[in-house]
Amino acid sequence: MYVFILILSGILQGCMTSLNAQLGNYYSLFGICFFVHIIAAVLLVLYIKGIEKKKMVFAGAPWYVYLVGFMGVGMVASSSWVTLRIGATAMMSLSVIGQMVSSALVDHYGWFGVEKKPFSMKQLPCYGLVLAGILCVVNG
Amino acid sequence: MIFYLTAVANGFLNTINRMTNVKAKQCLGTTNGTLINYLEATVIAFLLIYLTGNGAELNPEHIRIVPPVFYLGSICGLVAMIFIVIGTPKTGAMLSSILMLVGQLSTSIVMDYIFFGEFSMIRVIGIFLIIAGIAWRDRLKEKTEK
Repeated sequence: MYVFILILSGILQGCMTSLNAQLGNYYSLFGICFFVHIIAAVLLVLYIKGIEKKKMVFAGAPWYVYLVGFMGVGMVASSSWVTLRIGATAMMSLSVIGQMVSSALVDHYGWFGVEKKPFSMKQLPCYGLVLAGILCVVNG
Repeated sequence: MIFYLTAVANGFLNTINRMTNVKAKQCLGTTNGTLINYLEATVIAFLLIYLTGNGAELNPEHIRIVPPVFYLGSICGLVAMIFIVIGTPKTGAMLSSILMLVGQLSTSIVMDYIFFGEFSMIRVIGIFLIIAGIAWRDRLKEKTEK
């Protein structure tokens, strides 16, 4: 059951990337970002007020937390721009290698307060396999 | 080349964004931590639309010509987030990331076929290699942690 739920979440994320990119045929990159975020914000406000019945509190987090909006715009704009040019499969595959390398850096140096987990050279062949897969996707 | 580099940079940004969101949720709670992301991004995008001279695209006439289904992307994202919150504690981080990747990449193949008419068997093989590489790395990491 939970396996199915997680595969479904991946399917929905794949749909999200492709649908957001299709908005790019009608809007500028920032227009896409605006609609993607405002629809989600309205739904979340309704959820917090209507179902959770909680207060909306935004104070008390470290300064860098307040930069998330810039990151959100950057992510949606870049993924929509790239997906329209090279397709969703290539965009997602290349994003995966970016995520793998950056996660390894975060773990190795213990950034964002996470526990340090030094990079092991034993993992290199795994990265090679992913890279081979990405080459197939990009050139396929 | 610029598109490939931007896609890799998107992956870097994704990791930083995820780590920041974890902190936001720790400090503000799950829903408020997510909401601040959406609200800020809405305001920033709104300002950038006008700063780049594209204000006309917010006219109701223009909004109406867009097929409604294309606006559903953010709803897909929200539902996906809820499913991740439900599923990850039961399956563990390693399996959950692989399962999500299976769903994401297989959907992107279908979407590319629908929107661009592209399908290639080599791409499917590539996706299997990517998933195998990630599963292998996560297994090694898990062994090291034990």
